[in-house]
Amino acid sequence: MKVLSPRWRWLLGLAALLAAPVALGVPPARLTLPEFDALAAQATESVNISLDPALLGLAAGFLDSSDPDDAATKELIGGLKGIYVRSYTFDRDFAYPSAEVDQVRRQLTAPGWQRLVHVDSSKDRTHVDIYAAVDGGVAHGLAIIASEPREFTVVNIVGPINLFKLHRLEGKFGIPKLDLPQGSAAGKDDKPGK
Amino acid sequence: MSGDGEWTSGDLLTQALSGDRAAFAALVRAHQRTVFSLALRMLADRHAAEDLAQEVFLQLYRNLSALSSAAHLAFWLRKVTMHRAIDRLRRTPRYRSAAPEEAEAAASESPESDPMLERRLRALVRELPPAARAVVLLRYQEDLDPAEIARTLRMPLNTVKSHLKRSLAQLRERMSETAEALT
Amino acid sequence: MSEDVEKEQLERRLRSALAAVGPGERLVPGVMARIAAEPALGKRPPRAGAVAGWLAFGLAASVILAVLMAHEWQVRRLEQGREARRQLIEALRVTDEKLNLAYRVVNGGERAAPAGNSGV
Repeated sequence: MKVLSPRWRWLLGLAALLAAPVALGVPPARLTLPEFDALAAQATESVNISLDPALLGLAAGFLDSSDPDDAATKELIGGLKGIYVRSYTFDRDFAYPSAEVDQVRRQLTAPGWQRLVHVDSSKDRTHVDIYAAVDGGVAHGLAIIASEPREFTVVNIVGPINLFKLHRLEGKFGIPKLDLPQGSAAGKDDKPGK
Repeated sequence: MSGDGEWTSGDLLTQALSGDRAAFAALVRAHQRTVFSLALRMLADRHAAEDLAQEVFLQLYRNLSALSSAAHLAFWLRKVTMHRAIDRLRRTPRYRSAAPEEAEAAASESPESDPMLERRLRALVRELPPAARAVVLLRYQEDLDPAEIARTLRMPLNTVKSHLKRSLAQLRERMSETAEALT
Repeated sequence: MSEDVEKEQLERRLRSALAAVGPGERLVPGVMARIAAEPALGKRPPRAGAVAGWLAFGLAASVILAVLMAHEWQVRRLEQGREARRQLIEALRVTDEKLNLAYRVVNGGERAAPAGNSGV
């Protein structure tokens, strides 16, 4: 029997948390993401992706089913209703104002959102929260808020996302493998001005 | 025609304007390295760079009659390529794809070149913000002087000089970090 | 090494590292395929003296226009689809990057809240 690597065990644990039932009504899995004008104005780089069902369908149409990586991606996004990403990079530490960030966090206190992971690194001054929108034991939305000294990111996925399948795509499409040793801060150093 | 019988860009331009598609194809061949390389190093994605290069040449075809000389053509191609690339970067997320190095592998074969060092330099250039990256590429890939870069990018001359100075300082610092890490 | 010499050395290396590279064989045929649907340069439409000639010309022009518009739509659709695909891949990459970030921090032994908390 194949022994699971630590990374896979971690994902298994995360996915298992998604099975915890919640008693309340269907939560809105789609967050209202502000325009983050104040963040964008100060950022050296911005990422703003809004893929609604129509655009997801269009993107899926351009994935080649005969290519294994494209086929895996198609399978991953099948059933998703939207993927929304806002990410900002700055040239000095914690340059981002908290008001708009707090607006997103407040939405995640609504019934139906369950925080799966809260990590806090005083060494790297990094905070990551991962939430799932759960109904009847099924996660139909994911939200990630990652706050690093020079980067702030919000990810909102609407629909059932399989984290194992996402992880399997690591290293594909020219995306570097993030095969990092424990406690490494590599990846954050490769930014200008750091 | 030049002295050795080869068609110059100016001749090809004239021929293409009169409807000679073979001449237009020759113009594309003559300038494809410049356009593709600028696009590739701006977008850090080979497919995106090929797409963008095709769009630039399609736009060239549609605007050929507005060009008056070979020099004007070269200026126009650089200007349109960089503006389209910067636009695309604004609309599209940043890429940190590893793919560009496959295209770059054979770029420099001079005996004095150090492939690993050059690879690292190209990676560092890719990490510069778009405007600074554009300035560095036009300076060191295309050998334009700051005034020409300012005209191409429609950027104030002082801004160009500032980008060059800061980018070089940053590249020098990052390269020293690399050298220290390796010793 | 003096600063000027260092700067010159860096500039020399930059020029070498950033020497232009070729796109491969596909670019020129790709461009020529796209301009095949474009009107030819330097050509004029045929002169038509009679009404029937003008009518035939008008009909032909409408058909060509329809074909060009369909082609233009197709090209735009292609561009939109490629753009959507690129955005999708980037979105998935960022998601995976942040999950990995959380994993790294967790396994770095830093403080992590117990799982199953809801809200804040």
